[in-house]
Amino acid sequence: MGDVKVAMIVQKPQYKGETSRLAITHAISYQTVEILLEDGETVTPKLCFIGEGVLGLQKGQNAMELYGITSTESHMKNTLLVDLDVLVCKEDLDKYGIPEDAMPNADEMGADKTIQVVPFAEIQKAIEEANHVMFF
Amino acid sequence: MKLGVFVSDFNLTVDTLDRLKAEKLGIILVQNGVYHATTKVSGKASSLLDKTQNLYVLSDDVQIRGLKVEDVDKRVKVVNYSDIVDLMFNDYDKTAWL
Amino acid sequence: MGKLAIGCFPGLVGNMTFDFAMKLADAAADKGHSVSIWFSGNATGSVKAHQKHLKDYSTGEKPLLALIAKGVEICTCEACTVARGVQKPESIEGVQWNAMHWYLARVHAADRVLLIGGE
Repeated sequence: MGDVKVAMIVQKPQYKGETSRLAITHAISYQTVEILLEDGETVTPKLCFIGEGVLGLQKGQNAMELYGITSTESHMKNTLLVDLDVLVCKEDLDKYGIPEDAMPNADEMGADKTIQVVPFAEIQKAIEEANHVMFF
Repeated sequence: MKLGVFVSDFNLTVDTLDRLKAEKLGIILVQNGVYHATTKVSGKASSLLDKTQNLYVLSDDVQIRGLKVEDVDKRVKVVNYSDIVDLMFNDYDKTAWL
Repeated sequence: MGKLAIGCFPGLVGNMTFDFAMKLADAAADKGHSVSIWFSGNATGSVKAHQKHLKDYSTGEKPLLALIAKGVEICTCEACTVARGVQKPESIEGVQWNAMHWYLARVHAADRVLLIGGE
């Protein structure tokens, strides 16, 4: 199979369990998977945040200063720099009162991609179109 | 989409499950998820059992908790690990652990 | 037969999800499926050799060795593993060490994928 689509769905907040962070780093690793695949084979993740998973995405995180670890904000910038599609559920942002402009971007680093705030229906579509789905 | 969903908790995962749509949805109850099949809360069976007719519960995870196969709601089929492998490969094209 | 790629994040001790993953892999291998297991997060602690099997705790070494003997491919996330103080020479023989793209490559080849997230 040439391209394999994977929907990675983050439903837990960051900064307690490790799973939601590992979703991001696993998604980023799509960039180097080709060294283990045949020519023409690719893996294309879509990284989606739903439910409480949207809580850990806001700008202004201080993880490095306070706990000495890379922030989720920084990881999210990296996802955009490596051209990952990142979908964040609009209904859940609204539910928790988080404005769309609180989402990080990597404009200053020259990223072409931005986080896409979309209705859950778009995330459902990503799940349907994927060959495999993973919940984190 | 034929989606087989593993539910391993009694209370925590229903929200996500409520939102997922699939032409064929299967729910496989494992670990503490087995209580959905065996335990009524205030006399009411779990609403999870109304979501689909394709309900399965892992026998090992029922019996380890001192529950009996006879305690399992009649709508739920009792399966073993080998059956789960067959479900994954033959009945559903995607699987998710919630 | 098919290919199953299991991703396992929960730790060996303090959680029985790891046991589920081992038993599922074993059942799939017994049916002739090709199985690969990827350990990330706390699950990587399970690859350390010379585990003492105390009866109050699940054990990882015995089932892992049995699965490897059956041809199940097992790989641990190197970064997650060394972060927990386990070095390669200390690990169970036959366990591979690699980075997250190893799992994505197995996912690419798989007919079925089960990602079991952590706590």
